[in-house]
Amino acid sequence: MQLTRVALSNFRNYAELDLEPAPGLNVFVGQNAQGKSNLLEAIAMLGTGKSFRTNRDIDLVREGLELAVVCGDAQIRAGIVHLGCTIAKNARSTRKTYTINGQGVRYARFLGSIRVVTFVPADLQLVGGPPSLRRALLNIALAQEDRTYYHELARYQKALQQKAAMLRGTVAFDTDLLAIYDHTLVEAGTAVMLARNHFISELKREAERTHAQWTGGAERLEITYAPNVPFEAPTVEAVADAFGRRLRQVAEAERLRRSTLAGPHRDDLGLALDGHPLAAYGSQGQQRTAVLALKVAEYAVMRDRSNEAPLLLLDDVLSELDRERAAAFLAGIGGYAQAFVTATHLPDGLPDAARRFEIARATVRPC
Amino acid sequence: MSSSGKIAGPVQALINEFTKLPTVGPKTAARLVFHLLNRPRHEAQALAEAILGVKDKVRFCSTCFSLTELDPCDICSDERRDTHCICVVAEAKDIYAIERSDAFNGRYHVLGGLISPMDGIGIEQLRVKELIARIGAECPSEIILATNPNAEGEATALYLSRLLHSLSVTVTRLAYGLPIGADLDYADEVTLAKAVEGRQRL
Repeated sequence: MQLTRVALSNFRNYAELDLEPAPGLNVFVGQNAQGKSNLLEAIAMLGTGKSFRTNRDIDLVREGLELAVVCGDAQIRAGIVHLGCTIAKNARSTRKTYTINGQGVRYARFLGSIRVVTFVPADLQLVGGPPSLRRALLNIALAQEDRTYYHELARYQKALQQKAAMLRGTVAFDTDLLAIYDHTLVEAGTAVMLARNHFISELKREAERTHAQWTGGAERLEITYAPNVPFEAPTVEAVADAFGRRLRQVAEAERLRRSTLAGPHRDDLGLALDGHPLAAYGSQGQQRTAVLALKVAEYAVMRDRSNEAPLLLLDDVLSELDRERAAAFLAGIGGYAQAFVTATHLPDGLPDAARRFEIARATVRPC
Repeated sequence: MSSSGKIAGPVQALINEFTKLPTVGPKTAARLVFHLLNRPRHEAQALAEAILGVKDKVRFCSTCFSLTELDPCDICSDERRDTHCICVVAEAKDIYAIERSDAFNGRYHVLGGLISPMDGIGIEQLRVKELIARIGAECPSEIILATNPNAEGEATALYLSRLLHSLSVTVTRLAYGLPIGADLDYADEVTLAKAVEGRQRL
């Protein structure tokens, strides 16, 4: 898939922008705070419908204005699709609305119309950082890939919030109501766990293979799914059974501690090197190599699942890497269809075919 | 847009009142106010009286808890309507939606919301006891749960169906499906999956 046009209106620091990116590699060079990340953020929103930097949508609208628009034309296998995302701010709240080919659609429908893999400096903490970062990787990739996954995850989170509120005591405790929430948690949570299990098995294969190539087989990366509720076999029956049993086990403790204690909202991705947990035992360099392998794998799995390469968005991340790693990463990605890279300086070793742009004060010019 | 000294006090006051309404922002509020300024006085009077009339004259029906001027409401006191079937809805406005469809000729029961602990709404905050009392008194043969097909609507319907299980009444739920006149390839996967699940023999 390929983006043939991106247009912004009052998005972040951009008043108006109309850009025709090239197929292949697009490089945006500029000083800090000129609008490089904002452009990548806008492009990512065409895929995920949400900002990868903030939950405060109000920040997406240019200061003093009420309406921001991001639109884009994308060439996908099914043809050309026109995507639009509008962020409207009023006195009380900020709302996002979406269109596909001019027709208003719900978020769940918009999500994944085009697919993106983003890599930003914060991702370099994927190994050493909290589990929420690793769950976010799984959720963002899976939700773009599989609308059922998004639906089940949203159902799970909603039921979890309602159950948590009841445990906190916002309404009278009611065992019948608890049973209804637990039933939804098991049903939706089982679908989430099975989808993650499947995705991670593919991620594992790609990441471990890439890592072995890079280290010449000297070090062995191991990626595992570390579900909060262990299950015996990846079947609906086994997972639902294990989760249901676990919820019954913790029911009393949940009531006492007034919070939810078990389920896929506490899942993690296990990362080990030669049998030792990477976060605790790996050097900075080893952790970084593992992160790169993981991102290469994420891209490969998304590409292979739908047989169509997603857009690759690298925000200021190549300059964080040494030259060797940056080159290895781009080589690992292999044949990307289209990539967007931002940097303060032109990175070394870019292919000559790259289209180069300069960004200064929210203006983008070819250079 | 907020209280700038250039706008006359009463104009700003009315703009402020309008922006408290749902879906009305400062721009729409200003348009409404300037529209009203251009209309004759009696129209403004009629609007003001209508607003007060809603607050003063409209009350809850003591049977179904919909909004009414007379208690019991028109629907509850209409003897041509089927008393064997009660349709349970979240809000009074849902009654108008179902009435527009002309597909239902029974009576209603308004819960006054949906179960949502996040918003502080549990069973006690809804008119569930009243529903059970009605079932005891009116002995309907069917209860239709017509709550929204979202998370809260589902949880509420499920809760009520379990609660009413012990009473000798059939409990049904509105069907899920595709909007009439829509294209299959525009339907989202989840709705389509539900429609396939709930397919019917022809």
